[in-house]
Amino acid sequence: MFLFHYTNRLKCLLRDKETVFWTLLFPILLASLFNIAFGSITSATETFSPVSTAVIDNRAYQNNIPFKEALKSVSSGDQPLLKVSVLSREEAEQKLKKGEISGVITVSDSISLRVLNTGINQSLLKSFLDEYLQTEKTVNAIIKSNPSAIKDGLLSSLADRRSYTDEISFSGAEPDTMLAYFYALLAMTCLYGSFWGLRNVTDIQADLSPLGARRSVSPTHKLTSIVSDQLAALTLHFTEILITLCYLGFVLGVDFGERGVLVVLTGFVGSVTGISFGTFIGSVIRKNEKMKYAILNGVSLAMSFLAGLMFVDMKYIIAKNVPLLSYINPAALVADAFYSLNIYESLTRFYLNIGILCVISVLLSAASYMLVRREKYASI
Amino acid sequence: MIIRVQNLVKRYGDLLALDHFGLEINEGEIFGLLGPNGSGKTTAINCMLSLLKYDKGTIEIFGKPMTPDAYDTKRNIGVVMQNVAVFNELTVLENIRYFCGLYVSDKTERSELVEQAIEFVGLQDFRKFLPKKLSGGLLRRLNIACGIAHKPKLIFLDEPTVAVDPQSRNNILEGIQRLNREGATIVYTSHYMEEVEQICSRISIIDKGKTLATGTKDELKSMIKTGETMSVEIFALTDEDIEAVQGLPYVTKVTYDNNRLSVHCSGGKHNLIRLLDKLKERDISFGRVFSEPPTLNDVFLEITGKELRD
Repeated sequence: MFLFHYTNRLKCLLRDKETVFWTLLFPILLASLFNIAFGSITSATETFSPVSTAVIDNRAYQNNIPFKEALKSVSSGDQPLLKVSVLSREEAEQKLKKGEISGVITVSDSISLRVLNTGINQSLLKSFLDEYLQTEKTVNAIIKSNPSAIKDGLLSSLADRRSYTDEISFSGAEPDTMLAYFYALLAMTCLYGSFWGLRNVTDIQADLSPLGARRSVSPTHKLTSIVSDQLAALTLHFTEILITLCYLGFVLGVDFGERGVLVVLTGFVGSVTGISFGTFIGSVIRKNEKMKYAILNGVSLAMSFLAGLMFVDMKYIIAKNVPLLSYINPAALVADAFYSLNIYESLTRFYLNIGILCVISVLLSAASYMLVRREKYASI
Repeated sequence: MIIRVQNLVKRYGDLLALDHFGLEINEGEIFGLLGPNGSGKTTAINCMLSLLKYDKGTIEIFGKPMTPDAYDTKRNIGVVMQNVAVFNELTVLENIRYFCGLYVSDKTERSELVEQAIEFVGLQDFRKFLPKKLSGGLLRRLNIACGIAHKPKLIFLDEPTVAVDPQSRNNILEGIQRLNREGATIVYTSHYMEEVEQICSRISIIDKGKTLATGTKDELKSMIKTGETMSVEIFALTDEDIEAVQGLPYVTKVTYDNNRLSVHCSGGKHNLIRLLDKLKERDISFGRVFSEPPTLNDVFLEITGKELRD
């Protein structure tokens, strides 16, 4: 009998196109929009092409070995800054006028730059030359006061740009602010499971729908109906979460780190919490169905907003100013669980989030059951 | 005795919905609960089905107290709710299969019952239709099929013909009679007296949560003073003629309006013959003649002082 209820319920929920849209297609659409929006930001930084520039071929340039070396170092390697051509003055001027190069460098007693326009490329060229000239000045000053510094490797140490802090992700993922948006989106998707929970309550309570009344007069134990309905909702919503995760991970390339099983576990617990939340709202609020859906949608979006869905810094503002809210907001907990998995080596924070989500789910489910278990009603 | 309800009291806050309501229904009856909207019919049914809490009284079905967990009793009950209660996402066939499956676990038996129910309500051509694609009448038929597919011994039909076209209504009423002939006891609520009169073997008239009268339709009609009403088309009639008709035995009221003489009687036999003899005696020529027996509305009107559909 349980299987009979379960399969029928699953069939009903699966064919509820409107709710399937909100719980599966809407998050996927939103994720795609996020990807397009963030993609343009990322491509602007990642698809950098070297700045074409020319150096006038004259004696001063040929004799200025340090400058030649500096140019060589910035125009080689994996991500060269400049693409340098050594040209005659006429050729260089011609190319500059045609816009084939961004600037012309002339080495004489000093080093000068000639540009015709302003823009990022011209600013980059200027920054490079400023830095070179400043470094040259520093080297000359050191040599003047300590000539032996050259022997001690001054020049090589100047060329060596060293960072004294290392960014290491123990989970194997690259920290990325944009990820926080996707995690908040997944949190919203989990909370949208509340729509399934709400529908389940409506369809089982005699005082909420004719269908609930009709089912209540059948010879089926109410607990059987409740558990089979909730399991069907969980099956469907968890599958939706998995599809969304796969879409984000494999199609959009969102990085979830290397702890795949725990990522899936987060989705599962988030799904349970979402469904429990909807069940609770459906049991407690005695308004019409449309009003309940509106309340649920509003609350889910508000929670997702506080978890950083629309403005990623909101998560940190809440954590700083109202930390308690971060611990009771299921959306923030789900988003933070994904974030913790990706960023921290230790799983303490992750398990804390999952633990709190489990406690919230149990409390919501218990409260809902207390309200829903009655089999006789004061009014219908 | 299939159903025994005694002294049922149900309050909604200050409103007394059922006021020491009682009824007894025997096996094989089509029992009608007749009353205007808000009289307590649906509340009584919901109490009997153990959906509603009640303040006082006892309800027994199949000789056992009715409780929410009386699953053996519920297994033999079929319910057709006033509001259509089906899954919008399931087809006609799937809906009937689901509701039948709540009572019958054997798949083979269930398939047979589902097919019989589909045939019974005439939805053979709509098996794969979703409820939203059905007309109001067909939807009601689906609702009935979902309620009766498991062949229950007792069927509650709560206003099953509301908002149904006349053709579907006749189909539904014929179907109910057929179910009864096949052995089911029927509890039928309606505020349409014609329907109740047409199909019910016994009737309870209720108003304001109280049982006003119970009996067969003839028994109910014999309880009131109002007898038949005769109407005669007459083109000219004097006051003396009207007075003469007024003087006939059992005549309680005479009106003459729009060339139509209406004569209300309070019982008695051969009233029409006496009236026509009187008209002949006074040399009054007349056209068409009608005679209407008292209706349940007359019964309701006389008991409560208001029309059934008020």
